[in-house]
Amino acid sequence: MSLFSTWKELRKKGVMGINQRNADYVLRYNQRHLYPLVDDKIKTKERALQAGIHVPPMYGVIDSDKQISSLADIIQGHRDFVIKPAQGAGGDGILVIADRFEGYYRTTSGRLLSDEDIEFHLSGILSGIYSLGGHRDRALIEYRVTPDPIFSAISYEGVPDIRIIVLKGYPLLAMLRLPTRQSGGKANLHQGAIGVGVDLATGITLDGTWLNKFINSHPDTTNPVRGVQLPFWDSFMSLATQCYELTGLGYLGVDMVLDKDRGPLMLELNARPGLNIQIANDAGLAARCRSVENEIDRLAAKGIKKPSPAKRQAFCQRVFAQPLVVATVSDESANKAVG
Amino acid sequence: MKGVKLHVRVLALALLLIGAASTAWQIFVLNIPISSDITEPVWVIDTKLSFNARDNGPVKVQMYVPPAWSKFITLNESFISKSYGVNTDIIGDNRQAVWSARRAEGSQQLFYRLMLTQRSNSRFSESEPGPQFSESPELIGVEKVAVDALLKPIREHSADIETFIREAIKLINEPSNDNARLLLGNVYTQDNKSRVLELLLSSAHIPVERVHTLRLVSSVAQSSELWMRSYNGKRWLYFNPETGTQGLPSDRLVWWTGNEPMATVEGGRNLKIEVTANQKTMNSIMLAQSIAERKENKFWALSLYDLPLQSQQTFEIILMIPIGVMLILLLRNVVGLETLGTFTPVLIGLAFRETEVFWGIILFTVITALGLSLRSYLEHLHLQLLSRLSVVLTFVVIIMALISVLGHRLGLDRGLSIALFPMVILTMSIERMSIVWEERGGLHAGKVGIGTLIAATLSHLMMTYEPWAYFVFTFPGMLLVFMSLMLALGHYRGYRLTELFRFNAMIKGK
Repeated sequence: MSLFSTWKELRKKGVMGINQRNADYVLRYNQRHLYPLVDDKIKTKERALQAGIHVPPMYGVIDSDKQISSLADIIQGHRDFVIKPAQGAGGDGILVIADRFEGYYRTTSGRLLSDEDIEFHLSGILSGIYSLGGHRDRALIEYRVTPDPIFSAISYEGVPDIRIIVLKGYPLLAMLRLPTRQSGGKANLHQGAIGVGVDLATGITLDGTWLNKFINSHPDTTNPVRGVQLPFWDSFMSLATQCYELTGLGYLGVDMVLDKDRGPLMLELNARPGLNIQIANDAGLAARCRSVENEIDRLAAKGIKKPSPAKRQAFCQRVFAQPLVVATVSDESANKAVG
Repeated sequence: MKGVKLHVRVLALALLLIGAASTAWQIFVLNIPISSDITEPVWVIDTKLSFNARDNGPVKVQMYVPPAWSKFITLNESFISKSYGVNTDIIGDNRQAVWSARRAEGSQQLFYRLMLTQRSNSRFSESEPGPQFSESPELIGVEKVAVDALLKPIREHSADIETFIREAIKLINEPSNDNARLLLGNVYTQDNKSRVLELLLSSAHIPVERVHTLRLVSSVAQSSELWMRSYNGKRWLYFNPETGTQGLPSDRLVWWTGNEPMATVEGGRNLKIEVTANQKTMNSIMLAQSIAERKENKFWALSLYDLPLQSQQTFEIILMIPIGVMLILLLRNVVGLETLGTFTPVLIGLAFRETEVFWGIILFTVITALGLSLRSYLEHLHLQLLSRLSVVLTFVVIIMALISVLGHRLGLDRGLSIALFPMVILTMSIERMSIVWEERGGLHAGKVGIGTLIAATLSHLMMTYEPWAYFVFTFPGMLLVFMSLMLALGHYRGYRLTELFRFNAMIKGK
């Protein structure tokens, strides 16, 4: 198949490219001065707590080399915890301690770390190795999420997370990210994790993508990834929907996890989320953005400037339900675009 | 949003038009060559005056030199003489050089050298001087009869000044015409024929003027060629008094007009004039430059060439940076190549200028690999970020020094000349690369490194491609054209080439 026909097919399907994402969505809907809020996990967490959105509880913050020694106080009473760089991106620099053993710390992969190792990691975070611009950073110590057992069949170590892309408070696409052996227990696609599409209406998983390819079973567990009902789906959807009001950012990736004890929790926000979610869902983001923009215009014409989160969620769950409705949606949006 | 899009389009279009127009103006109006290889013929005309001075008396030599309104552009003019003072005067339509000395003895030689380009002088038509009217001579007796007899058929056979003159020339050159023979007195010299023609035409109230021209051919010695010209109210018409053909051929240079000889000497005798013409070729851009120097009103057409030579060389490099940057823009936004930072590849490409591209790639690869392997070793030592980077950078400097020394010992100086600039660029790249390694892992760092190397090599080749360097430097309007392309790319929303492969699965799945 020639590149040109590939181009045309992708356009027809409404697949969004990086240039389009940057120019038409990120640049247009996300004001730069709002970035620090999502780039700094501590700020995001504080804002979410104020708004009553569930997040993993924070144990403490370390913002200077002197404070590294206070780690012992912060983690007192917690056998397991997570150390994160506040401004890290793509899951780099995250250290998950599953247990403590004779003064050592055991990571989820079973590696034993000494106090010195942990301090070294913390000083690395503070000096800004993992931060986007390379400038000084803060380290965040927080509750370690225990994944819900529902994922044990389709996940390898680590904690699967759920990402929902939200445009102006309208959820567009959802993806379940499953760690693999290759990704080292991390849920990042570029590190080798699997992305599995999720039906917005029901929360039932669809096929998956792994390294830009389609897959339908987990490479480590060989269990099919399709057809798994995610619990508390409406909570996830409403959590993601509310993040628009929380940040003011129009184009947003909301990362959430399902904790065994605490239920859906919001982990972090991303102002320029990746595009592989389209492969996982076999659906184009641009097509869905168009439907939402048409809906916004339609409501604006009727004088409704700020539809309630519940209305927005209901709209998306009705229109973007997969897989039966998908064809009519793209037809409908194409017709609207023409008209 | 739509307003902004329109704004960008208008701005890009405006820049494109301004840039293209200025370039077109330079090419088509000012005749500035589009390539540095184009050469053009240039004429060097040497005039040698020799004479014997009378015993120790004052000497004054007057010689006509080509006037400023010539259709050729004078590039250079020089008067060479020993112990003579030189002045040029404008006398009527002509220009005259006057050499003078208080005392001179024995044989004397004076030289005049003129360098011309055959490019047409745009001022030619405007400033060629107008006509000089002369009184009709009072004729008596036989001559009057002969003239009237000649004028009658000419009037009958002509429609305007042009055909009138041609007819007159034809009759004078007819040996069987008695009237003409009478006027000429059987002396069929060029000079005499011209005299009769002047007589004939001024009787008919059409003043004509002698024009002395030089034929531009490479030969040993030449003498001036006589032409006649007349003003028809709008422009000068040139005629060959021998054949009557009209129009001065393009290889004739007007030297002076009027009846006087080319040169006269006071206080000397045996004046001899030798004129030789020689054709040379000259690089077109150098030619354009010397023309620009002479025509001060259009100096900014080649203003970069006015800079001191050293600044010119610097700017020749600097002006190429936008080309490299545009390439990176295309590679990143349209192709989707991943590179280390945005402008690092351009800087590496610039650094390749000093190391040569082949050695540059080898050096970049070897030094980066060594630097990164040291980095991964240092990781075991649990050093802090800053001190780890410092150690890596120092190590890189040591390696470069070692390579330079080793290369020098092996006699590879030329290829391994590492100046300060490439050194800084390389260390910077390693720093960035090791940060990428920390953040995204070795595989990604390798991918980015290779992408950077490809982009750097391509941008280097683009930036050092001579014809482009010349073109951008000579026609700086191109920078505006680049800017408009960059602006247009800023609104490019299409897929990147790599994305077509990335999302290919979504089509095959169907």
